[in-house]
Amino acid sequence: MPVSTGRERAACSGRVDPDGTGRWTPERRISPRHIRRPSPWPPQGPALDGPTLAVDCLRPIRLQRLELTHFRNIERLDLTLDVPRLLVVGANGEGKSNLLEAVELLGSLRSHRTGSDRDLIRHGEPGAVLGCCTVAGDRLRLALRRQGGRQASRNGRTLERQQDLLGSLRCVGFSALDLDLVRGEPSLRRHWLDRVVLQLEPLYGELLSRYGRLLRQRSQLLRRGLGGAELAGLLDAFDQQMALVGTRLHRRRHRALRRLEPLAAAWQERLSGGLEQLRLHYSSGSELPGEEAEEPWRMALASQLAAQRPEELRLGQCGVGPHRDDVALLLGERPARRYGSAGQQRTLVLALKLAELELVGSVVGTPPLLLLDDVLAELDPTRQQLLLDAVGEGHQCLVSATHLEAFGGGWRRHCQVVRMQAGRVG
Amino acid sequence: MIEQFERLPGIGPRTAQRLALHLLRQPEEQTRSFAEALLAARSQVGHCRRCFHLSAEPLCEICRNPERANGQLCVVADSRDLLAMERTREYHGGYHVLGGLISPMDGVGPELLQIQSLVRRVAGQADPALPDSPTADPPTADSSIEEVILALTPSVEGDTTSLYLARLLRPFTRVSRIAYGLPMGSELEYADEVTLARALEGRRPVE
Ligand SMILES: [Zn+2]
Repeated sequence: MPVSTGRERAACSGRVDPDGTGRWTPERRISPRHIRRPSPWPPQGPALDGPTLAVDCLRPIRLQRLELTHFRNIERLDLTLDVPRLLVVGANGEGKSNLLEAVELLGSLRSHRTGSDRDLIRHGEPGAVLGCCTVAGDRLRLALRRQGGRQASRNGRTLERQQDLLGSLRCVGFSALDLDLVRGEPSLRRHWLDRVVLQLEPLYGELLSRYGRLLRQRSQLLRRGLGGAELAGLLDAFDQQMALVGTRLHRRRHRALRRLEPLAAAWQERLSGGLEQLRLHYSSGSELPGEEAEEPWRMALASQLAAQRPEELRLGQCGVGPHRDDVALLLGERPARRYGSAGQQRTLVLALKLAELELVGSVVGTPPLLLLDDVLAELDPTRQQLLLDAVGEGHQCLVSATHLEAFGGGWRRHCQVVRMQAGRVG
Repeated sequence: MIEQFERLPGIGPRTAQRLALHLLRQPEEQTRSFAEALLAARSQVGHCRRCFHLSAEPLCEICRNPERANGQLCVVADSRDLLAMERTREYHGGYHVLGGLISPMDGVGPELLQIQSLVRRVAGQADPALPDSPTADPPTADSSIEEVILALTPSVEGDTTSLYLARLLRPFTRVSRIAYGLPMGSELEYADEVTLARALEGRRPVE
């Protein structure tokens, strides 16, 4: 199996020729028209033959080289990815998930494992540097510092805002945490939806962090008893901002969910044999009247914020807004969270993730990178195979597991295997 | 000495080292006058009693200048932002320096900022900071404020402060805020003069 630490390889060049044909024709690798609709179950023959997310492309490498310095337990790593499927193998705590997390950060500026950059920096070091080269010729670099925040650059130019790094490397993550998507807390489904919207509209990140800060400031205001006689006036100032930012979050989540629903329903039908219709219902944390429109929603949210204030003063918690959102997953009009079997729930998780992958791919125009962190081994062989068939060869996949044996045979074809031990590639 | 320099904003270890070595190479006389200037500044510079800008006198240069009492009052978070506004040379009114922004996370509520004094200035009440003020101060200067311009960073804290102030001040005067041609999350202090001047022109009432 080809293992490369990359140091001896040519440094990132600009554009490469992934097909070895001497031409680079992006149209061939990206068209969402090539995503075929799911067909009835059960499929004919041993392999699923129609529906797949795969596009007509043999070497869909988007991420070509990854360089990490002082990231988590990784002192230094320089890895060249030359086949579309990378399997990272290592015992827990050796650093395999860290490698995938680094790619997630470069693609989305977020980690599903932590909200604090301090967790991401190697012990005793002042900062970490994450870098990668994409096939399109972009060199992305993200520096994390214990003090002074982040700094992002593209092709050697420092970016004024780290958000400007987004867009070059889209990825969809699927981790063991996602397995609880159906039966877990509402926050899991909110974060799932947020990750989808983030890949569709990178600016969403600014709205999210602004809303999060408003919420923290507001709760500190109550907790610390600041404001005194001025409390009402201060809360008014927060209401006004939260009504606006909250409405924008509601609208984007609502919109993304409407686009996800038909895709998820189609995957669910295909994966489960099509007995029950899947619906995704947006249970928003505010009452949103009528059709999606900014002004009426903002006014509704403002009046609900005002109405809940006595309760908020009693409990110390703001009772309306997107931080109370949930997504109800209904199978045959019954909440899968309560009525679904464990197997149904797991199939549903798979359908949701595939819908996400399909939506991001079709909106963006290129199949996103798929990061499967410690999740494949959690799926039984049938679902592993379903996932493989659905993903096909069209997506670059980075997959982590504790043992190579955790991967079904199909996953081990045409792959590059990397073993992580104590933060080193061995 | 290197450590002392490193504590200053914007100074890294290498710059600190360079500054320290440079000072050691200076004639003793020069080092002495530098140290004295530092101490003198520390002991003499306080805050202007009216606008709370840094000032060695009880009233700062801007407050002492009668031409700048033109009916406009620009509210900034700190003296750095005031200096940034001054560099535009487009603004000819008075100032009020809040001394920070409302940020409950950092324990900063309105009572820690120069908000009451601002309301008093705008409401035209007698200025208790100036009962026996020097002669240079025209006593009616502040009772005729026609417009308050809020020039606060468009962060959550800046916007919260702006909205809060707008409600307090609107009964007494017109309140506007500078429009930001600045990217969200950027700091007023680092904006170039052109951007700031344009933003000042494009100010609009707080809705
Ligand atoms: Zn003054």
